[in-house]
Amino acid sequence: MFGRRTLLATAAALALAIPMFGGLGGAKAQQPPVRIAVIGPMSGTGAFDGQLGLEGAQAMAAVINAKGGVAGGRKIELLTYDDKGSPEEGVSAAKRAMEQDNVDLIIGGWFSAVALSLKEATRDKIVTVMTSSQHPKVTEEGHKYLFRLNATSAMMSDFYSKAICERIKPKSVAFMNVNDDWGRLDLENYTKLLTNCGIEIKGHEFYNRTDTDFNTALTKLKALNPDAIYVAAINTSQGATIYRQIRQIGYRGKVIASAGNMNPKLVELSGNSLENVYSATPFTEDNGAPTMKPWLEEYRKSFKNEPSFIASLGAQAVEVLAFGVNAAGDPRAYDKIAAAMKAQPVPTVLGEVRFSDQGQATQTIHLVQVQKKQIVSVRD
Amino acid sequence: MDVTVFAQQIANGLVNGMAYVLIATGLTLVFGVLRIVNFAHGEFYMLGAYITYFVGTLLGIDYLAAAAIAAVVVAALGIAANKLIFWPLRRDHEFTILLSSLGLALLISNGGELLFGADPKYVDSPFADEVLDIGAITLTQQRVLVFAAAVVALIGVYLFLRYSRFGKMMRATAQNPDGAALTGINIKLVHGYTFALACGLAALAGALVGPTVMIFPTIGNWAVLKGFIVVIMGGLGSVTGALFAGLLLGVIESLGGGYISLGFMEAIGYAMIIVVLLWRPNGLFSTARGLR
Amino acid sequence: MGHTVGMAGGVAALCVLPFLAGNAYLEHLLALWMLYALLALSLNIVIGYLGELTFGHAAFVGVGAYTSALLSTQLGLPPLLGLPLAAVAAALFGLVIGYAALRVVGPQFTILTLGFGSILYTITNNWVDLTRGPMGISDIPPMAIGPMTFTSARETYFLILALVLAVGFLCHALVNSRTGRAFLAVRENAPLAASLGINVFHTKLLGFVVATAIAGLGGAIYAHYIKVITPDIMGVQNVAALIIVVIIGGRGTIVGPILGALVYIGLLEALRVAGPLRMVIFAALLTGTVVFLPGGLVSLWQRWRTTHKADNNLPAGNGVPSAEGGAE
Repeated sequence: MFGRRTLLATAAALALAIPMFGGLGGAKAQQPPVRIAVIGPMSGTGAFDGQLGLEGAQAMAAVINAKGGVAGGRKIELLTYDDKGSPEEGVSAAKRAMEQDNVDLIIGGWFSAVALSLKEATRDKIVTVMTSSQHPKVTEEGHKYLFRLNATSAMMSDFYSKAICERIKPKSVAFMNVNDDWGRLDLENYTKLLTNCGIEIKGHEFYNRTDTDFNTALTKLKALNPDAIYVAAINTSQGATIYRQIRQIGYRGKVIASAGNMNPKLVELSGNSLENVYSATPFTEDNGAPTMKPWLEEYRKSFKNEPSFIASLGAQAVEVLAFGVNAAGDPRAYDKIAAAMKAQPVPTVLGEVRFSDQGQATQTIHLVQVQKKQIVSVRD
Repeated sequence: MDVTVFAQQIANGLVNGMAYVLIATGLTLVFGVLRIVNFAHGEFYMLGAYITYFVGTLLGIDYLAAAAIAAVVVAALGIAANKLIFWPLRRDHEFTILLSSLGLALLISNGGELLFGADPKYVDSPFADEVLDIGAITLTQQRVLVFAAAVVALIGVYLFLRYSRFGKMMRATAQNPDGAALTGINIKLVHGYTFALACGLAALAGALVGPTVMIFPTIGNWAVLKGFIVVIMGGLGSVTGALFAGLLLGVIESLGGGYISLGFMEAIGYAMIIVVLLWRPNGLFSTARGLR
Repeated sequence: MGHTVGMAGGVAALCVLPFLAGNAYLEHLLALWMLYALLALSLNIVIGYLGELTFGHAAFVGVGAYTSALLSTQLGLPPLLGLPLAAVAAALFGLVIGYAALRVVGPQFTILTLGFGSILYTITNNWVDLTRGPMGISDIPPMAIGPMTFTSARETYFLILALVLAVGFLCHALVNSRTGRAFLAVRENAPLAASLGINVFHTKLLGFVVATAIAGLGGAIYAHYIKVITPDIMGVQNVAALIIVVIIGGRGTIVGPILGALVYIGLLEALRVAGPLRMVIFAALLTGTVVFLPGGLVSLWQRWRTTHKADNNLPAGNGVPSAEGGAE
């Protein structure tokens, strides 16, 4: 006799089994639109960054499609893939995009670890645009179809260190950096550059990417009595906690925010603790780029988040790919697309961007400051 | 060694440690009474923080009242979780119960991400940015509140267990469930109340700690790990043990991070547990079955 | 015997499966399935046979992955040599950690293994000179046996399939050996086993070391297949995934972990159609399955057999799960 438990058990097993068959035989017919995979951290700790980047890309795709699409009227279609911020999932996502869904182009690489595995999965097979990752190896050991948008740590620090030396002018600095490739490289760069212009380096602390409380580290840094504390934080929630806690431990000196990581959400979460704090970013709303205005309008119309640097990178990725496809006339002519993108400056939402032979972009970087809870660009 | 910095690190550690204690108390009660290792405990902490946030921002209710509402709502959710999952499974193998709590944890955290959004949020409290200088030590009012409210809650739990009818029933059930049932104690009711108390305490911890950091849907993972370390180190089922172990962990992490290495801060905490467990396998305060 | 025929049929099906997949992505999923199956089989030795829950298993996977990856990228050692060395390194860590942790049982053991695992993770994350810390190791060369390289998913699938079958056979032989019966005796009643002259501690330590060695092997294969590793491989979420696989499939059996891995990989893949609801549905199905099917998926087969036998009044057969000491 089948008891109630057995019946329920069978039902549970069926429930486990049915979707398996439903999902494996997905359709993959070639469709008229140009299909671009957006691979990013859509769940887990990096989910917010992934969401912002995807929103930026979607808004730009809508702008381009409204103007008639690419390559003679083909619409851009974005397919989303979750890499959960893990290299293994990144490889899986890329394989699925290429082999199961047969996409034309790939956007991905928000985190360095994922970008490093993604570049191997896509090596010489498909045009891939990496977004926010800053690891030098992504392009140094890239491949012939690989591009990376974000400025490298070196480019950012060359610009920002000048601003720190000439405008912020702290007598001494202590560093609060995240313990990862970027945080370590960042410390190395600024220690050298700031020492060169006569600023004393009082010390540094590395915090872990999983830390939620920073009182211990900040107490140590405060005890060094630096004129300024430099904070290198990518993760918005960690950044906001650090900026608040710097003030909560009673530190009254200057605060310097790392380049590339100032965003409206961070300002909102940080309360008054970011007031008058400087940062550097390739993204400013008033940069005068022709596509900035329509993109901002589309973004604000569709999403409730404020436009941010991460979102603009998503938009820029769609833009440079659209440029390449238009020049080549075919989303599969990878050699032509890559050549077109490297041949001339590409106009984008962040101004004109130039790609090196390795596919590394050079972005225009601006100095910004938080004033009355708004990020405003500082111009001389 | 700078005495001010040392005192400050001790104070930081005591506040963090008291938050661990508040999380761990519920966990240890559930183990003591129900013999369940509940991996979903951290999710109730997360829910406590989020409900405080939403009640505060959407209904415009002030922070302290929002925290109280969060604790009550989450306590009710705890009763529901017990009724739907843990009570029906009470006779099953411990691994089965454990996996069901792992499943519940996944369900709540992923459901939370869907409902609340992936963006980090800040629980606004009027005490968060108000700095208090106590001698040479600087603490925010909120961090003092975390410590003080936890002390009040723990005294309440102690009195409840010691003198109230339900407290006595809980202790009886913890010592000998079958014997307690024989004397006419409604075990099902005791299980429900224990869950309500445990989840309410976790939610209170979330509501109190929330304004000192940022909240996001995966904070439960952190909470449950810290809770477990404290519970095991203090001795499973021991409330007194949780109190000492929690404060000890907080202070050792703070001093370890402050004077040895920040990168190894968590590892130093774990090393301490290993030493404690190898020295006293059942934890600092565990001798026999029951709640202490 | 029906049992043997069934086994042979199953193995044959596993061998032709990649040729039916049709695209490289499905082959990649099959390779992942086998990898999870291998790791779950190793974890099953601790959970299923020793009856202890370890939270440190991912750390041993990481030790194996890092050992082989560092040997091949830093010293230029062929991955084929790195593979056994990875197993040895993981086993050495397993020996030391098991020696300390197996002195306690139950939740205390679980937290001790979590503690040791977290310390290994922290060291990997902070010893930048050796492990490159959070940057991880990239450009790991693919596995190669002589002129044969295992770069594609299909090749890797067959490599891991061979290991899964070997480990499965090893587990089967182990359970039916004197040592294996000692494992089960220790799991069911440690004091009684001790009174029968079984050295409980040594028996458990042996099982733990074997499990960690296989975990290290699996980690090394993962490293050479994905070609990038970071300290995240040692994270708690990987342990949770493996525990889910073992218990959903059916702990204490050989078919269980393999089946559990298939359901885990397949379900997460199939649920992609659910979009943002994916993980919520997954968690709900997981919780539901545990509540209604506490013995795992293999217990469904056992239940069917029990009712079937009762209906036909047949003598008890030598079914696969029961022979290996099923979950109850």
